[in-house]
Amino acid sequence: MNDNYDPLIQAIDVHKSFGSNEVLKGINLEISQGEVVVIVGPSGSGKSTFLRCMNLLEVPTGGKILFEGTDITDRGVNIDKHRQKMGMVFQHFNLFPHMNVLKNLTLAPIKLQGRKPEEVRAYAMELLGRIGLADRAEAYPSQLSGGQKQRIAIVRALCMRPEVMLFDEPTSALDPEMVGEVLNVMRDLARERMTMVVVTHEMGFAREVANRVVFMDEGIIMEENTPEEFFGNPKNERLQSFLSKVL
Amino acid sequence: MREFQEAFYSNFIEDDRWEYIVDGLGVTLKITFFAVIIGIVLGFLVGIIRSTYERTGKLKILNAICKVYLTVIRGTPVLVQLLIIYFVIFASANVSKELAAVIAFGVNSGAYVAEICRSGIMSIDVGQLEAGRSLGFSYWKTMWYIILPQALKNVLPALGNEFIVLLKETSVSGYIALEDLTKGGDIIRSRTYDPFLPLIAVAVIYLVMVMIFSRFVTLLERRLKQSER
Repeated sequence: MNDNYDPLIQAIDVHKSFGSNEVLKGINLEISQGEVVVIVGPSGSGKSTFLRCMNLLEVPTGGKILFEGTDITDRGVNIDKHRQKMGMVFQHFNLFPHMNVLKNLTLAPIKLQGRKPEEVRAYAMELLGRIGLADRAEAYPSQLSGGQKQRIAIVRALCMRPEVMLFDEPTSALDPEMVGEVLNVMRDLARERMTMVVVTHEMGFAREVANRVVFMDEGIIMEENTPEEFFGNPKNERLQSFLSKVL
Repeated sequence: MREFQEAFYSNFIEDDRWEYIVDGLGVTLKITFFAVIIGIVLGFLVGIIRSTYERTGKLKILNAICKVYLTVIRGTPVLVQLLIIYFVIFASANVSKELAAVIAFGVNSGAYVAEICRSGIMSIDVGQLEAGRSLGFSYWKTMWYIILPQALKNVLPALGNEFIVLLKETSVSGYIALEDLTKGGDIIRSRTYDPFLPLIAVAVIYLVMVMIFSRFVTLLERRLKQSER
């Protein structure tokens, strides 16, 4: 197997409609290995829908998504196999409430990747240690704070050793004082050269961590640039007005 | 007191009439037990098919079949179903009354369990399904490892209630001349012409069984809840 795909993910003319409501109107975006791409935009712009198209949680109604060179929108493709390499973090964490933290982390690697339970557990504990939550391994999600839940949700995805991490507004459901701890974990991930696609409202994070910032509105990409240019010299009118509201 | 002793003797001791009660209880428990198993299996299958259709739009034909089943079973009295199964469907086949009753009550209970199961699955946040799928679990594996354990916990009280209803509903088995607990008490009444003691005894036995079962469900619920605290 070739481990170097460039780009890792390629969205080609992606369309998505819910009934007669067209949410995505032809999105083209390439994400290279090791890149951190942050997608921003007003609510209803389709940015979350687009992110969810990348691992086919939403099935595009037109266009293609290439992941590692394979068109995963092709009906013959085993999407479950590809999703194992695409970690996803949700706004509402979606930890499994009936399992303790360690079980949350180890279930998928053990059941899906056939890895040895001891190895997976050791790896999970190592990752938990890195985010400072090793002592919560036996806790249940209901006993954790929002920030802890989200950090564990990130680790749950990482336990699969994914090629890319998709973040769908990971801090939007958190109390303000917990946003920082989650962003720190994401910052560390970026430093380790994890490929990341992040939908967020955290402009500070975008400016500091992103290699590229994408502005979406009304179902299309309006502007796409380095953080310096994106925030320092925005060209699109809508982006200018968006930035003036959020910054 | 003396009158009671005499009544007790004639109703339960004389001619070993207590055996009607004990044998009847055995039949009632046996029918209920196997009907519950059929009900659970059938109910969960139908419930899963129905919720899968509602969530994903797949299994359209199976869903339509399930809907017919639910409509027919829930739209007709269980006694009529029992009579039809025994006297019409199994009329020519040499099927024991007990088997006919097990099938009738099992198929009947399945319809109610199905709706309980469906509502339980639908009560689980879609995010759980998405989280499972995003990790690479197939729809059915997500169902098995993530959705069903949570759904089951949510519907346990309703399921327990359904089985209590089922236990009591088997009391119409006498209509196909099956000697269950109720029929046993009724046979004694017809022998002794004393309705009071045998029927009260039957009622008390049902009551005690229901109370024991309720207690068991409560304990189970508490144990399952512990895992979330």
